[in-house]
Amino acid sequence: MPRSVRGGGRFDTGLVVACIALSVFALVMPRRIRDTVATAIRGTALSPLVALESRASTVRAAIAARNDVLVARGVVATQALAAPGIADENVTLRRLLGLSSRLADGFVAAELIPARGVESDFTLTLNVGASAGVLPFSPVVTADGLVGMVQSVDAMTSFAITWAHPDFAVSAMSTDEVAFGIVKPHLGDGAERWLLELRSVPFRAKLDTGTLIVSSGLGATYPRSIPIGTVLGEIATPEKWARTYLLKPSVLPAAIGPVLVLLPSRAARGVNGVWVSVTSSDSAARAIAAAGDSLARKAALDELSARRAALDSASADSAGTDSALVRTPLSRADSLRADSVRRARAVRADTTRRPPTTPPSVPPRTGPPPPDDANVYRTSPS
Amino acid sequence: MRGPPTTSSAASALRAWIGFALLVAAHFGVRPLLGGRASVDFLVIAILFAAVRIRPGLAALLGCAAGLALDAMAPGTFGAAMLVMTAIAFGASWTKAVFFADHVALTGLFVFLGKWIFDIGYVSIGGGLRGVDLVVQLLLWSPLSAALTAVVAIILLTAFRPLYRPQVA
Repeated sequence: MPRSVRGGGRFDTGLVVACIALSVFALVMPRRIRDTVATAIRGTALSPLVALESRASTVRAAIAARNDVLVARGVVATQALAAPGIADENVTLRRLLGLSSRLADGFVAAELIPARGVESDFTLTLNVGASAGVLPFSPVVTADGLVGMVQSVDAMTSFAITWAHPDFAVSAMSTDEVAFGIVKPHLGDGAERWLLELRSVPFRAKLDTGTLIVSSGLGATYPRSIPIGTVLGEIATPEKWARTYLLKPSVLPAAIGPVLVLLPSRAARGVNGVWVSVTSSDSAARAIAAAGDSLARKAALDELSARRAALDSASADSAGTDSALVRTPLSRADSLRADSVRRARAVRADTTRRPPTTPPSVPPRTGPPPPDDANVYRTSPS
Repeated sequence: MRGPPTTSSAASALRAWIGFALLVAAHFGVRPLLGGRASVDFLVIAILFAAVRIRPGLAALLGCAAGLALDAMAPGTFGAAMLVMTAIAFGASWTKAVFFADHVALTGLFVFLGKWIFDIGYVSIGGGLRGVDLVVQLLLWSPLSAALTAVVAIILLTAFRPLYRPQVA
């Protein structure tokens, strides 16, 4: 032990004893006196240290508050980023509700289960299965159009392929029913992989860019008039006798969320008019065509009326011995379709005898046609 | 012949007091910034580093003053820090022979023990904790704090050797 310590033993011991005594005294001091002493010390000798500690505490509080502010900003930014997604989801759900109301029945709403397989890009796992009535080959649709087809079904889940799946194929047509073909995925590279092809379109049927392609209803899987995509343009293929068009799908991959599975009963009944865009465009096209053909229609009407008047006269001649019902000629605009005329002729052929080849006793009528009433039957004078 | 050693001793003492003052300032200015339950006790480091340079009686007085400063900041345990810090400073000065080895690991161990003993005495005399909390404090947080304090002491002793190098009083 150092000599200086040994030499000053009494001094050191005295100081230690004094310090300990002071400490013990401080411990047993009344609380009021302790507070007074502490306040006095903090206000005098320790005031710089108190100020320093206070400043450090303030800095730490500011740092913590800054962290809180940054965290709050992060939360707000995250919510702001999520807001458009929520808005888009709301729009999707509203459109799906509209589709559900138009379908009325015969469908099952389904949510997607996150994919687990390697073919996750082209397949969907739905949270509905056989217990909900889903069967294989049931069409899967959204408010935008066709998504795909159920491929296999479990009790509570089902697995569907999308239009991008290599096995996907649907018979399709343009809304004006000019072009028919088969829609299959476009097996291109990169982003083109997410396009469709309308193949085997007759060479005479040329489609413009933007033409809506819908399912044709041919086949047993997809009912008629489900939007599939719009024409982007024609692509060159080795087939010289048919055209192939590139389609932009109606249902984009990112937009596939909640879907509807059409049950077989609903698919069998058809979905004409369910997708408003198809119906409206079809009606508009027909209206335009009808307006453009008004003159030709009038001429055809006159010609048809004259012919039927002649036939009526011939039938009236033979009605003296035959009391068969003779249907009046049809002159309403909607009855001028070829199938109506053909049906009317078929009825006439089935219900009346062919008149004799003798010349008619009454000359053919050359005046205006009889009153228009497609639903009125008249009996020949007896 | 006595001139140069006296000048050197005075300069060393001056550096030591500067180091002590910086550690005291760090205790009140840096420790609040770090936060946490296992914090660095710069004041214990300052007392231990200073105690090895001065007589035990002066070390006890210095420890008592430092304890008084701590008690003034926490009047609820007024006197506890004075008593414990007096004992630690006096004991450190008496056991300064350990520091003569100038071994960094021993210095760290000594700081660790000094801080842990301080916490044990302060918590025991202050009486703020009981039961499980007292056990957790003494067996978990106090050792962690002591270890952290020892690490900082070793760093300081290594990085600022002129300020904190032990010297015979």
